Amino acid sequence: MEEKQIEEKETNRNVEVAPALIAVHPNQNSVAVAIGSDLRVYDLLGDCAVSLPDDSSPPFHKDSIRAIRYGANGKLFVSAGDDKVVKIWSAESWKCISAVCSEKRVSAVAISNDGQHVCFADKFGVVWVVDLRDINGNQAVVDKKAAPLLAHYCSIITSLEFSPDGQFIISADRDFKIRVTVFPKGPLDGAHEIQSFCLGHTEFVSCLDFVCTVDYPQGYLVSGSGDSTVRLWDIISGSLLDTCEVGAKDI
Amino acid sequence: MLEQETNPTISKSTGLPRKRFYRARAHSNPLSDSHFPVPISPSHVDYSLHYPHFFPPADQVNCSKKIQFADIGCGFGGLLISLSTLFPEVLMIGMELRDKVTEYVKERILALRVSNPGQYQNISVVRTNSMKYIPNYFEKGQLTKMFFLFPDPHFKEKNHRRRVISPHLLDEYAYVLGVGGIIYTITDVEELGDWMRSCLENHPMFEALTKEELEADPVVKLLSSATEEGQKVARNGGQTFQAVFRRIVPTS
Repeated sequence: MEEKQIEEKETNRNVEVAPALIAVHPNQNSVAVAIGSDLRVYDLLGDCAVSLPDDSSPPFHKDSIRAIRYGANGKLFVSAGDDKVVKIWSAESWKCISAVCSEKRVSAVAISNDGQHVCFADKFGVVWVVDLRDINGNQAVVDKKAAPLLAHYCSIITSLEFSPDGQFIISADRDFKIRVTVFPKGPLDGAHEIQSFCLGHTEFVSCLDFVCTVDYPQGYLVSGSGDSTVRLWDIISGSLLDTCEVGAKDI
Repeated sequence: MLEQETNPTISKSTGLPRKRFYRARAHSNPLSDSHFPVPISPSHVDYSLHYPHFFPPADQVNCSKKIQFADIGCGFGGLLISLSTLFPEVLMIGMELRDKVTEYVKERILALRVSNPGQYQNISVVRTNSMKYIPNYFEKGQLTKMFFLFPDPHFKEKNHRRRVISPHLLDEYAYVLGVGGIIYTITDVEELGDWMRSCLENHPMFEALTKEELEADPVVKLLSSATEEGQKVARNGGQTFQAVFRRIVPTS
């Protein structure tokens, strides 16, 4: 799954515009683009735009979308942002199957690999979890309630990721920290067992991803940061395995 | 160096810092981004700065001790000073958000080390926001005791999330406390006492100490007597509310 951010700068107006977001279906079936509060999907297989009927209330996002992603092997799609509503879509029928209200604006979202849970982080640093197990695609839109999962005290969470085996949830924040927490069988009671902290960045952590190899299918965690480095981590111990400086180099 | 003669902040007779030059408001905003240095990770904590007796700057390889007791919101240092002689081989640190108060504790420890050679070498203080940076200072399971004495009650409902004991923060405290480690809390505000006890009871990684265990622990008596705040409460005949819990392996 790929996610790129393009900054759109408005030079004449004082209004801040949210960066446009792109998410690609894991099997390249479709591409989703979020521009401001607008969400557009293009079906790459059928080579046509997809219209998104939204029967949830309120329909469509009313304010800037801050996070979009595909998950659960491409079956689900999530969009969320400044209007404090997390919309969960079926990426097959493109119907909005659930809308979850957040108390604060949302900064990051993640979907568990089995599609049973969606997590989102709000601007106060709290990560919430929604249980999707009782939803089937044919129901009318279900309004779901989220339960608090964990929190980074008074920090903005910049990225949320599940580990490839679904055992852990990784959360990164603007205070240079990456937290690896055991994702429990009953996440609605909270995720209390911290496996490790990956500490080493000297600036906000901007993004996370996993790199899996044949020798190491559990995957290594990779993180990018405002300190101009990309770092490689072992999430079980929190050890920093390698650092790659990507800042401007003197030649 | 005869600094003390010209420095009014240190008393000439006792060599100890005078509290009135280190007065600070009782409250400090834990949400503000204060600008103090934070170690990148626990391996970056400078032990030779805090405990020069155990970690002489010249050769840092010998001592493998790590900090085991942490006094969160240590105030003027009363508890640390009492614990220092009770556990002379254990390294302890106080964490305090207020600048002036941290300076006072630093001066107090330095003065005590001078007037009591060989003693008080195992305690130190650092200015930091423990609600954000505890994982930067301590490795997983490093601590054996954590203290939260008379924390700010943050009475208003909307400020409850600023309380230093909360369900989310207990996850972090459970991370730095080793299994079997103990968390000690005390307050003179009944509502806060109920809150802290209830947060600990509802957390799967903590269980309450039994009455027998509380009576057998020499540290428990210090909770209400060792600190300036505790002594003030006793002077005014106030009641205190304790919650002392042990870090356990969660039963899944």
